[in-house]
Amino acid sequence: MARPPRITLSPVRIVLVYAVVGAGWILLSDRVLLALAPSMADAARWQSVKGALFVAVTSALLFLLLLRFRRERDVLSSEVRTILDGVADAVLVVDADRRVEDANAAAVRLFSASSREELLGSLEALCERTRLALPEARAAALEGAGPEATARRECRLRRFDGREIAVEVSASELPWPDGSPHGLVAVVHDRSESARLESAREEFIATAAHEFRTPLAVVKAYAQLMRRRGQGDASALDVIARQVDRLTRILQHLLEISRFRLSSSELEREPFDLGELLGEVCAALRERTEGRKILVTPVFAPVVGDRSRIGQVLLRLLENALRFEPLGGQVEASLVVEGDRAVVSVRDHGPGIPPDRQPYVFEPSFRTFPAQLPSSGVFGIGLDLSREIVSRHGGQLWFESAAGRGSTFAFSLPYAPEARA
Amino acid sequence: MSPGRGGLEAGARTGVLVVEDDPDLAALVEMVVAEAGYPVRTAADGAMALARVEEEMPGLILLDMRMPVMNGWEFARAFRARHGRAAPIVVVTAAENAYRRAEEIEADGFLEKPFEIEEVLVTLARFLGPRTEAAARL
Repeated sequence: MARPPRITLSPVRIVLVYAVVGAGWILLSDRVLLALAPSMADAARWQSVKGALFVAVTSALLFLLLLRFRRERDVLSSEVRTILDGVADAVLVVDADRRVEDANAAAVRLFSASSREELLGSLEALCERTRLALPEARAAALEGAGPEATARRECRLRRFDGREIAVEVSASELPWPDGSPHGLVAVVHDRSESARLESAREEFIATAAHEFRTPLAVVKAYAQLMRRRGQGDASALDVIARQVDRLTRILQHLLEISRFRLSSSELEREPFDLGELLGEVCAALRERTEGRKILVTPVFAPVVGDRSRIGQVLLRLLENALRFEPLGGQVEASLVVEGDRAVVSVRDHGPGIPPDRQPYVFEPSFRTFPAQLPSSGVFGIGLDLSREIVSRHGGQLWFESAAGRGSTFAFSLPYAPEARA
Repeated sequence: MSPGRGGLEAGARTGVLVVEDDPDLAALVEMVVAEAGYPVRTAADGAMALARVEEEMPGLILLDMRMPVMNGWEFARAFRARHGRAAPIVVVTAAENAYRRAEEIEADGFLEKPFEIEEVLVTLARFLGPRTEAAARL
């Protein structure tokens, strides 16, 4: 069945059309009346016919208009019904008297209700029965517009079948055009599966750290012990110890990525000088790498964010650049303010990243030259996390590289001159 | 190695108790400590470690945190309840935040796995005094 066209008539247009039709009717009908009824007695009779006709025509128009509105409303409500029932989360529509007037199919499943009707009625009664705790929607609506106008909270919900599950409840007010509320919509998201997965993942991370590090500790310590005792090939033992350190770092990075992705609320937001931080990281690296050359031109660049996380990003970019910089060469780090953003670039004069490898730079296990330089390190670890850290600050991380001409990795952060560190 | 609080307060006791459930790592640390010239005993879990402590109070406890039967946290709680700060505890942990594990049980120091042999020797010297002649071999 063809969908009826949406009514685009605004109230002003409808009234205007009505006024024009009315005025036209008066002008035309008076002239016709004059032509048809020369005598006053006829005129009075025709006047009544004219009035009756006007009422008939406008009534017909009004009827058609209302019919269109009603069909449109029916279509809309069936669309809303389909959307609501298609949503995976439970949705409750609550009216101004705090009575649940609608619930979707997911709500029936989530509450393990026998039918939709079982959920309708007093909201307070439903909350009491299921321990559902609605967040304060009024405060959220007053505080902000858009997504901020939705209040959220987590609670435990006791389903009708007695089972308890972890849920996240969000509530948004349904406003009249003047902003005053005439009800609210509550969305209940079943977190039991994700909560279970999260805790399983955290447990895995902790276990992995332990399970990997103990054997690594044994291997490394034995290699060192043999080296100290002058047993075995000294250089081979050094390689073993070095590779164990590398495995430990890889493990550390992987754990950091998992942990970072687990929690989005981990980022601090404090004002700091990006130039000062860049200087600090460069100085620390120079010390650690025994005077490897890093040319740095820091400027004062106040930004807002997680200083230690951004410090990690700087460290990763500089470490990578040093790894690829030929011995005796100089890594260049710079910081400039471009409009509303501060941009840090780190440039090396190493072999560069071949074009066919470039799309994979931010893959977790990317290596620049898998065939030629098997020991060149796991480049991608750190870069994918770095990019995530930067984007969570509202910035971007990118690179330019050409085979044989080195690489430049850069990232931007929103410049915040008004922020005082 | 972290800055610790213990120092040499354990007095003349020079024995080391290695509490570690991994037999290879326990054997290795035992060998390192013994070759450094300190008397050493091992325990595979917290409960066994408490029994060893009852036999003789060591001068230093190297404590793994995750162990079967009785883990490092439980051991530290039981040890403190019975013996207070009779011996310094150095946490040897594979956890990500070793210092936090150390803080949790108010340990006197921590070693992060995988550690350097040198770190173990420095720890022993700090809590038990200078190495003996035998240590020259290491």
